[in-house]
Amino acid sequence: MATYRLPKVLNEVIRSHRDQFIRPVQPKNGVGAFVFPCRKLVFNYCERSGSSKSMMEYLQKEATRFASENPQIEVVVQPRPSKHPIVRAFYTNGEQKTKCVRRCSAGEIPEVIKSLRDHSGHKLHRWNRYVISDTPSVRGIYSPFHDKAVYSISDLKTK
Amino acid sequence: MFSTVTRATSRAGFKLGTVGGSRAALSIGTARKMAKEAPANGRRVVAEAGPTTYAALEARLNLSFGDHGVMEQVCTHKSYAQGRVEHNERLEWIGKRALNLFVGEHLIATYPNLSTEALQDVQHSSFGMSSLAEVGRHFGMQAAMRWEPVSREAPAVGLTKVLGKAVQALVGAIYQRQGVAAARSFVKQHVLSRPVDVEAVMQIKNPKVMLVALTRQKGMEYPVARILKETGRFTSSPVFIVGVFCATKMVGMGFGSSLKMAEHRAAKDALLKHYAKEIKDISVTGDEPDVSLFAQDVAV
Repeated sequence: MATYRLPKVLNEVIRSHRDQFIRPVQPKNGVGAFVFPCRKLVFNYCERSGSSKSMMEYLQKEATRFASENPQIEVVVQPRPSKHPIVRAFYTNGEQKTKCVRRCSAGEIPEVIKSLRDHSGHKLHRWNRYVISDTPSVRGIYSPFHDKAVYSISDLKTK
Repeated sequence: MFSTVTRATSRAGFKLGTVGGSRAALSIGTARKMAKEAPANGRRVVAEAGPTTYAALEARLNLSFGDHGVMEQVCTHKSYAQGRVEHNERLEWIGKRALNLFVGEHLIATYPNLSTEALQDVQHSSFGMSSLAEVGRHFGMQAAMRWEPVSREAPAVGLTKVLGKAVQALVGAIYQRQGVAAARSFVKQHVLSRPVDVEAVMQIKNPKVMLVALTRQKGMEYPVARILKETGRFTSSPVFIVGVFCATKMVGMGFGSSLKMAEHRAAKDALLKHYAKEIKDISVTGDEPDVSLFAQDVAV
């Protein structure tokens, strides 16, 4: 291959400093493989307080089943005396979410846990676009309503 | 995985071990053991990674090593505990070589016109330490790593390299325990599925000179630039769209606010179309029993 190369010494110097110019490729969850975003759930409760009653009921009855149904999540149960019961979720992108379940009945706690589990970890963000793309087009996304060409079914016929 | 801390005196997640045969792991600690765990200088102890962390990491990646200690070993750098516990250095050694082989196979099949120097740069930038560290962070390995930072004041320095090595060690562990096909499938799913930026790697300083040399080498006509479209030539914001032609065939197209810039971009486009040409469907599938990409006629 005929490449225009800089003088050898300079080329080596530039290539030896190439580490500075590396931009690591960001992974896209779901392309290739899906890695479950929620990695850890911590259940904090107080043994003596009344607000932890439904939380303790959940822990005694359903927590083990939840943990075995979700082997990809590390479930930690930890007493936190004299505090309200909380569920704290840790995600693979480094974010965490906390939900206090002091006012939740026994039936509401599994829903709270499910919503924390299914969250992606990314902060809530307002997206002002219809489509977010890595390869945006200057003229925008194609729309058949703004296309003058008339297509007919017979165009699809293959001989 | 499931673990319990029943003592309130420490915030450390203390894990004794697993009880029972089910996947849920229950562990109990006592006050005295907690006090032993807490450091003397009173620093708040963040829950260290335990067996449940590694079991969850395994399940998250759809792996199942028979031995539970493998994941822990993969995530242990030799700086941890002065290298007295089992660490990932040997796994990283073989994993790095296996990973580079799979990545190299993929790159050589995908980019037929790229020089080996450029291939090396692509491998280094897209599949080198920093990218592997991103893969590791994506897995959630950052929380599971066992290592000792170089300096207390900057505990995050060195984490990228440690994470990258851990991912290499993971590939090595899969390679050693589950075989080549499983390792290639893992690398293909998690590492090779990410977009590769070839243009950033190629340093095209003088595209017109390079294009002339390339066309001469390929026996094509001398490249000529022609204006395809233009607008606003005598205004403050002109736009020119220029195509580079070898005889009647257009090899590259570029835009610019000046004719020179448009020509430059057109020549660069022509070079990228040639060198960064990508073969989309290469014949490497995850469930082939072949050992190598090139072993086409191995009996199934």
